[in-house]
Amino acid sequence: MAEVQLVDVEKRYGSFLAVPKQSLTIEEGEFLVLLGPSGCGKTTTMRMIAGLEDITAGDLMIAGERANDKPPKDRDIAMVFQNYGLYPHMTVAENIGYPLKLRGMDRKTREARVQETAEKVELQALLKRRPSELSGGQRQRVALARAIVRTPKIFLMDEPLSNLDAKLRVTMRAELKHLHHELGVTTVYVTHDQMEAMTLASRVAIMREGRIVQLDTPKKIYSEPADLFVAGFIGSPSMNLVEGRITGGRFEAPGVSLPVAGADRGDVVLGIRPEDLQLTDPGAAPISGKLYALELTGDSTLVTLRNGRTSVCTRGPADFEAPIDAPCTLAPKPGARIHLFDKQTGQRLDA
Amino acid sequence: MRKTVFWWVERGLLLLISTIVLFPIAWMFLTAFKRPRDAYSLSLDFSPTLSNFVTVFSDPWNLGDMVLNSVIVASVTVLIAVPCAALAAYSFSRFRVRGRKFLFFLILSTQFIPAVVIVLPFFLMFRSLGLLDTRLALIVVNLAIVTPFVIWMIKGFIDAIPTDSEEAAMIDGASRLRVIKDIVLPMAAPGILTSSIFCFILTWNEFLFALILTRRDAVTLPVGLVSFRTERGDLWELMSAAGVMITVPIFIMALLIQKHFTRGMTAGAVK
Ligand SMILES: Nc1ncnc2c1ncn2[C@@H]1O[C@H](COP(=O)(O)OP(=O)(O)O)[C@@H](O)[C@H]1O
Ligand SMILES: [Mg+2]
Repeated sequence: MAEVQLVDVEKRYGSFLAVPKQSLTIEEGEFLVLLGPSGCGKTTTMRMIAGLEDITAGDLMIAGERANDKPPKDRDIAMVFQNYGLYPHMTVAENIGYPLKLRGMDRKTREARVQETAEKVELQALLKRRPSELSGGQRQRVALARAIVRTPKIFLMDEPLSNLDAKLRVTMRAELKHLHHELGVTTVYVTHDQMEAMTLASRVAIMREGRIVQLDTPKKIYSEPADLFVAGFIGSPSMNLVEGRITGGRFEAPGVSLPVAGADRGDVVLGIRPEDLQLTDPGAAPISGKLYALELTGDSTLVTLRNGRTSVCTRGPADFEAPIDAPCTLAPKPGARIHLFDKQTGQRLDA
Repeated sequence: MRKTVFWWVERGLLLLISTIVLFPIAWMFLTAFKRPRDAYSLSLDFSPTLSNFVTVFSDPWNLGDMVLNSVIVASVTVLIAVPCAALAAYSFSRFRVRGRKFLFFLILSTQFIPAVVIVLPFFLMFRSLGLLDTRLALIVVNLAIVTPFVIWMIKGFIDAIPTDSEEAAMIDGASRLRVIKDIVLPMAAPGILTSSIFCFILTWNEFLFALILTRRDAVTLPVGLVSFRTERGDLWELMSAAGVMITVPIFIMALLIQKHFTRGMTAGAVK
């Protein structure tokens, strides 16, 4: 267990700035998720912590010690690689047992540990195969097993569940969560799946173009997104974002008129989650438009309405039915959160 | 399949080329089993004999000594060149050192120097060292010739191995040397074996340096062939028997390479 600190860390590939100067502290025993679209520097950040990538500038501290120049093997880290990094000439069992072998564990204890770990990731039947005889999802589970076969100071997991089918992904997610609870090892977890991030993380760092734009608990990220990027990225279906202006204490946009707290100004984006809206009877509804699309998701129906530039979505009852283009009205639920953002900077406007 | 004109032309050309290439070899193999009086006839109607092989291995030809010299020189060269070259190739492939490309070019450029240009300096050098006509001298020279080539060859194989597995091993707690032993060598093994055999063949067939640097004690097989040109004329049947002795091991190795070469290609790493 260890605290990991990035102090003014920067990474350049030649002249390309992959991760601009920034600081980040990962608390001891924390489960930190790096979340962001592909190419935003998640893997790079993780590889710097692992010692596989030179740090261009700044300090990396592991358990209070500067680790910039420490070779990977001395960092006591276990890592799941995005592209697995398996040993093709070894069997699955040998792959999983390799970190133990390097630590001089005797054969018998090793085999028992491997067996136990293989069961956790449902690989018992495949222990004698070689990686080339496995499917992508199975290879990923070997990579995962190799990481969790021992208890390191830090876990680094780079999209460890990305190639599993939906059902197994949910099982593994629970397995990882339990493992973290059990061992309490500091974990950095990379994903581009917000569901994974929300369910696993103690804190989520949302990254964009190499920069961490918000670092908060999943709850906070959901309820108080720092800017338009986070607001649009988190939540499914994503938050409704409506461009308009504030006049006389009301937000005005085509088909929308809502009381808000805030000084009069133009160029404002109002955000409200589909979960915070409900269908209402026609009348003096604050949001009105024509029905644009209906999508049945099983337990509910996604209702999208349009009015000029405004497009707003909400969840309606599963049996909701109406013809396309029918007039449709919505209102915020009691206690609904309304977010306001500056259209130019994208920053959250706090009342 | 319809046998078009093109098909016939193609087969015809292949047959022609094979004949041209294989004729001397076939001729050599046949002559090796002929009696001296049959040696000059092209007839296939002769009673084969092993007497030529007996003759070349006995006095005054003593081909056995030459076989021993060749085996020792080629084996020791391989045993020294390949491990050194493998480590050098790994470094060239993996470490981003300043001037790496230039250094690699420098090593390769030694291959562009014609042997005849340096054979005399080598002769003078070994003479002053008192190493003329020794296997050691031949080994040193062959190492100089062969090592750059083997570095280049093995580097190609190592370049083709993705670094992911090595990185994973380092994270798992392996030192660089341990990574080489546990990960790189097993994965590069088919390539290294192929390179070793190439290296052996090159050394085995080396003629010019062996001709100039040896006289009696350290003579290798290719040079030994020359001794069958005597005042009494060329002893073709003996030369052929010796030729067979040179060629057969190489044939076998070429076959081995072929098998391992295809395996080396398919063993490929795993994404
Ligand atoms: N070895 C490299 N050389 C140059 N650019 C790289 C290298 N590795 C990654 N990058 C660039 O750095 C950026 C971040 O990459 P990465 O950390 O892999 O993103 P992510 O894991 O978030 O998808 C990308 O724009 C990528 O093209
Ligand atoms: Mg990545």
